[in-house]
Formats: sequence, C-alpha cells, structure tokens
Amino acid sequence: MMVSAHRFRSIGWIALLLVCLALVMVLAFRVNSLRSQVHRTEQQIIALRREKLYLETEVETRANQQQLKLWNDVEFGYVAPSASQYLSSERQLAAFAKSDGPDAPAPIRVASADDTVAAEAAFSSVFPGLGGDPDLSAPAAGHAEEEDARRSAKPADGAERVAAAANLGARLATVGALGKAAKDKPGKSGESKDGKKAGLAKAGKDDAARPGKGARLTPEKADAKPGSKPGKPAPAKSAPAAKPAKSTKPAKGGRPTP
Amino acid sequence: MNALTASAAMATGRVQLANVRQTALVTARLRALWVMLLFVFTALTACVRIGQLGLFEQTPERTSLAEALLPSRGEITDRNGVALARAFASYSLWFNPKAMGEQGAPLVKTPEEVARALLGIFPDADYVDLVARLKAGKSCYLRRRVLPEEANKVFALGEPALEFPREEQRFYPQGSLAAHLLGYVDEAGKGHVGMEQVLEGRLLDPVHRGTPTALSLDARAQGALEDELGRGMLETAAKGAAGVILDTDSGEVIALASLPSFNPNRSDLAYNDLVFNRVSNQVYELGSTFKPITIASAIDAGVITDFAVRYPAYPLQVGKFTIHDSHNFGASLNVPEALIHSSNVVTAQIADKLGPVALKRTMEQLGMNERPTIELPARGFPLWPHGGGEGGKGDWARLTTMTVSYGHGIAVTPLHLAAAYAALVNGGIWCPATLYKVDPAHLPPGRRVFQASTSARLRQLLRMIVADGTGRKADAPGFRVGGKTGSAEKPGSGGYRKTSLIATFAAAFPMDKPRYVVIVMLDEPQATASTSGQRTATWNAAPIVGRLVPRIGPMLGVVPDAHHDVDISDLSPLVGSGEGE
Repeated sequence: MMVSAHRFRSIGWIALLLVCLALVMVLAFRVNSLRSQVHRTEQQIIALRREKLYLETEVETRANQQQLKLWNDVEFGYVAPSASQYLSSERQLAAFAKSDGPDAPAPIRVASADDTVAAEAAFSSVFPGLGGDPDLSAPAAGHAEEEDARRSAKPADGAERVAAAANLGARLATVGALGKAAKDKPGKSGESKDGKKAGLAKAGKDDAARPGKGARLTPEKADAKPGSKPGKPAPAKSAPAAKPAKSTKPAKGGRPTP
Repeated sequence: MNALTASAAMATGRVQLANVRQTALVTARLRALWVMLLFVFTALTACVRIGQLGLFEQTPERTSLAEALLPSRGEITDRNGVALARAFASYSLWFNPKAMGEQGAPLVKTPEEVARALLGIFPDADYVDLVARLKAGKSCYLRRRVLPEEANKVFALGEPALEFPREEQRFYPQGSLAAHLLGYVDEAGKGHVGMEQVLEGRLLDPVHRGTPTALSLDARAQGALEDELGRGMLETAAKGAAGVILDTDSGEVIALASLPSFNPNRSDLAYNDLVFNRVSNQVYELGSTFKPITIASAIDAGVITDFAVRYPAYPLQVGKFTIHDSHNFGASLNVPEALIHSSNVVTAQIADKLGPVALKRTMEQLGMNERPTIELPARGFPLWPHGGGEGGKGDWARLTTMTVSYGHGIAVTPLHLAAAYAALVNGGIWCPATLYKVDPAHLPPGRRVFQASTSARLRQLLRMIVADGTGRKADAPGFRVGGKTGSAEKPGSGGYRKTSLIATFAAAFPMDKPRYVVIVMLDEPQATASTSGQRTATWNAAPIVGRLVPRIGPMLGVVPDAHHDVDISDLSPLVGSGEGE
C-alpha cells in the first residue's frame, strides 16, 4: 500500500509538472505571438509614417511658395491687406458706428413689444408717490428708482420691461384711485395732478419717441438667455408692487419671437 | 495415390499460400511502421521546431520605431517648422539592360525611340546623351530625381529595362527658395555652399538628426523677398539682385536672397556661378546708404548739435578731387535736407568736421573691417580703405574720410549694411547676424555703437527720407518705413562707370519701434520704361521695398496703422522741398 501510495504521489507530481510545463509552453507561445503582433504593428506604423511623410512632402512641394505665387497671379489675385483693414482697438471699431441722424431710417427690429405700454410702465415708475394709497405707492417708488438706475446702466432687459408692462394694470388702478381722490378733493391737489399728468404724458411721449436702443436690443438680450431669463424672479423684483403670480406670466411672453 | 498426391499437393500449395500471406503481412507491417516512424519523426521535428520558435527564437532584426524612422540626414526647417530640406525616398530612373535576360536586346523598342519618348517626359534631358547611354548596354542612372507622375509615364512606355528604385535623397520641397542659405547635397551625400555644409556634422549625427534644425528664416517672407526681387530684376533688366531681412533686436536673418538662384534639387547642375551669394560674399560700394551712418557718428560725437545749421552745397574741391552732388540743391542745406536730398557735399563736410578717427572707429564697431558675422561659409572680405602710417593701419586721409562718409572707397557686403542699419535704428546696439533661431529670452548681448538718443534721431531722419525725400516710393502706407537710397557707380577700368550702378535701398520698419531691417540691392539696373527711364535706387530699389513691406509686415507681426508714426514734428519745419539722388 505504501509503495502504491508513493508511486501514486510521484505520478501526481509528474502530472503536475507536465501540466505546468504545458502551461508555461502555452504562455511562452502567447507571449511570442503577441511580440510578433507588436512587431508587425510597429512595421505598419513605420510604413504609415513613411507614407505620411511622403504625402506631406508631396503637398509641400506642390504648394511651395513659388507655386502659390503662380496660382495667386493666375487664379486668386489676393493682395496684402492695407492699413485700413486693421483695427488696433475697440475704439476704432466703435468709431465705425453711426449715430442716428435726423432723417435716419427706423432701426431694424427683429422683435417688438408694445412700446406705448412699455413706456407708460416706465414713466409711471419715474414719478413715485403718485398713488393715493400710500401702501401701494411707497414701496413701488423705492423700487422704481432702483429699476430706473438699473435701466439706465443696462438698457436692455426685455423680460423686465414686459413684466413692468404687465404690472400696468395695478399701476393704472393707482392712478385711477388718485383721480378719484382728486375729484373728491378739488383744488390744490387737482391742479398738481393735472400738471403732473401733463408732465407724465410728455415724459411718456419722449420715452416712446425714442424706442430705438432699448427696443432694438431687447430681443437680442432676451435671446441670449432665453431659458434662464424669463423664468427668473427678476420680473418680480422689478415690480414688487404687483402680484408675483402675474409677474411671472408675462415673462413667458417676453420670450422673443424673432 | 492420386488422392494422396492430390492432398499432398494441396497441402504444399496451402503452405505456400500461408507463406506468401505471412510475407505480405510482414511487409505491410514494416511499411506501416516506416510510415508511422516518418510521421512521428515529422511530428517530433515540428514540435521541437515549434518549441524552439515559441520559446527561444527572437524576432529577426528587431529595430525600434525611432531607429527605423531616423532620417539618413537631419531635416532643416524654417522658424515656423516648414520643411526646407529633408531626407526623402524619391524615385530615380535606372537603366538595367539585364532586366529581360542576358541574351537579346535590352530594350523592346530601339534606343532612339525610347530616348525620344523620354525626351517627351523630361524636356530638359539631353537626347544624344540618352541614346548613348541606352546603346552602351551598361547599368546606369538615366535621371536622379523623378516625380511620381513622371515615373508613371515612363512605366507606361512598357520598357522593363527602365526601373525606378526609391532612394533616400536630399529633397528641397520649396525648390529654389533660399537656395543660397541651404546649399545642396552632392551625390556622395556631402553638403555644400550653405547650411548643409555648416551643419554637416549635426545633420549626420544619429543623436541629433532625428530632430529638425530650425533656422531663423521665415519661408513666407523669403518667398515674398525672392518674388519682389525677381520682379524688380526683370523690370530693370538688372544683372542680379540681392536682399536681406534682418530682425533688428536679435540679428536673426528672416530672409536672404541672391538672384539669379539655382535649384538645389538638381545637385548635378547646382555647382555653377549661380551659387555665388551676393548678400554675404560679394562686396560693393554701397554709396549713399552710408550717409546715415556718418550722420549718426557725427551726432554721437557732438559734431551735429543743431539741425538747423546750414552747410554750403557747392561742389567741394579737396586737393585734385571735386565732390559733386547729383543735382544742384541750392546754396546751402541743413542736415535733414542733406539726407533727404542725399547730398555728398554736405555729408563730406560733416565727415571732415567729425574727423577720420571717429568715423573709422564707428565703421570698425559696425564690423565693416572684417568679414560679415554669419554662419555661412561664403563671406566676403570688405575692401577697407588704407590709412596712413605703417601697414596702412593709421588714420585715413582727409579725402578718404570724406568719400567713406558717402559710401565710396569702402566696399562691404549688403549683410554688413543690414547689421549696421539694425544698430542705427534699434537703439544703437550692434548684433551679429545669425541664421539660427534665437530664443527671445536669450538675446545676444551685442555691443553699443550709438547712443540711444542718436538712434532715436536717426529713426526720425530715416523716416523723413521716405516720407519726403528720395525714398518716397518705399513708403508703404501704415508701415512707417524709413530708409535711405544709395546709387553707387561701379568702379571699372579708368574710374567709375556712369551707366553701371549698384542701386541699394536700406530700410527699416516700423520706424516708431523698428522690428526689421530690409536691404534691397540691384546690380546694374538699366533705365527702362517701368523705372521712368531712371537708373537710381529711388526708381528701382525703393519701389521693391514699397511692395515688399506690405506683403511681409503682417506675416512678421507688424500691423499697419495709419494713425501711428514716429514724431518728426521738430525736424519737419527745417526741410524745404527738392529732389535728390
């Protein structure tokens, strides 16, 4: 039994050795086959690089300076750019812009909003404290000033404009209330109201007469961020006196339709 | 008995049959064994071989990628990496008379027919020579460098004896562009003439030849320079033309051309007179272009302090010699007028006041007494005027000082002039010209020749010459070109020849902050209709610069601007009007 066990073990060792040998052989074969593959790939790379160099040289030869010059003489006729074709600064670029003359044609608009509404919305904010109801007018006044300053710095914010226009209803109601109050208390306050109204109308007219920049730029600006701008709470900010639900609604309408 | 006999006979027959069968079986087994042995042997051999291959065999001739792609000779590029010279496997046309076997005629058609067909493909080939080679029956090159489409046409002739081996040769994709700078490589693989000769060691060194060598050259500017020079040469029917564009701060040669040129791709034809480089090797009396140098030297030395001082402009008698101007400019001229009208008389008087020592020192500091500093092997030695004293090394005579002041009696290469003008306008620092690309962070130190204030004055004066004077035709709008014309008569037997001129225009731009110096020179320009019947530099060399600068300026980073210029308001009131040389 002992002998047979011993023999069995030695046979096992030999078998294991054979299996290991076979595995080593397989591994060696694979390594060498991979090595030949690498070699073949390298050969391919070399051939391709040579081909690339060859084609590159051919292109360079066909497009050499003298050949390009001949083509230019016969075909293209390009000349060196002159000094007038270069701009050294933004100022030079801006110098090309023309200011609107007295008979200048109306600027091309790619989108439009109702200017009168927008203008009235703007002017109502110019004169704070018009409202008879202090609760409504006082906060609106503070914000209107802010808004005006912002508008003068950044004239084009379509969404805000349209939102302001939408709040017009609320503001007109304020004016209406004022009118009522004036009727109720005639005299001093009525005069002042009329005078102010005339002034307001004038201002509104002026504003409407110069729709140029704001109106022209508006859609472009809105166009730049169509997704973010209208949805933002910016309109609500611009007209805090109005209901917030209303302020978002026209914002959608403020989306440009060029 | 019969039965017995019969049975015995049958037994014998059976035994025999059994024997036969036995033998046949043995034979068959033996054969099967042999076959099996053969198979086993083959299989074993195969296994051993597989094992050997799989385990021990190395891939034959393994070369690394880098080694395989290493060119036989390094590439030369311009400053922007455009290949100017490269080792390239191009086709050759090889005649192998044994291609169709040892016996019989080597060609299908007659040698005359084949030669005529080859002449149709290569019009510049020599018919007689081709026929002689084809008839001789010896293997030889019929042509060294053949384009692929030409090879296709030759192949279409159907002559097996005409072969196209691809051989690694030196190839210049830009053709004759910058031929004098690059030089060429002969059939033995040796570089000649230009940087091929200078860089020989580096281009062949296995360590370095893998990376291209960048020169300071700009191929586009070089193309424009050669083109405009060629045009100017044709228009004026000049013998030759030379031009150089130099970076004022680093001394880098951006372009350098000498016409007529040669094609380095045809190395068999390259070695002729055309390899002579007019820019670095030929010395000329460059005439009035020296006047700004004299004036700068005088300003530097404090001889000129007031630009309004007027000098008499009548012909000046010095010993037996009389110094004239090309025209009569009136009774007197001040310094700006003298430069604008290019007055020899006034310059000579200023040089006389300056004295020989100071002028000679300036010229020496500008390197006018030695070969031009550049890497090219062909560098001409100037004709330096002899001074008095031992070995002619003493001070110049009074007349010599006066003639040198307006560029006569001293002959230098156009490259000398370019380096001097760079020093004139760049703030007064002279830098050696170089063909290697210079790192802007490591500019060569150079040596101070003029004070910065003198250089600033010269910038004004040179700009005035182009704005109001003899260089008007070089005034490219917006590029603030400044420069000086020079038309020197060539010396011949029995004095100067009136009709053989060297017309030079030395310019720099933009004058408010000079970046590049441009020298253009025409050798013996003729009076033609395109130059309004004139021979002087005003009419032939200056217009070349006027056309060249707008072409190269934007490429070299100089943006034309009509609103900028060097301020000449303090000098312009001093200038009247008139014409000059």
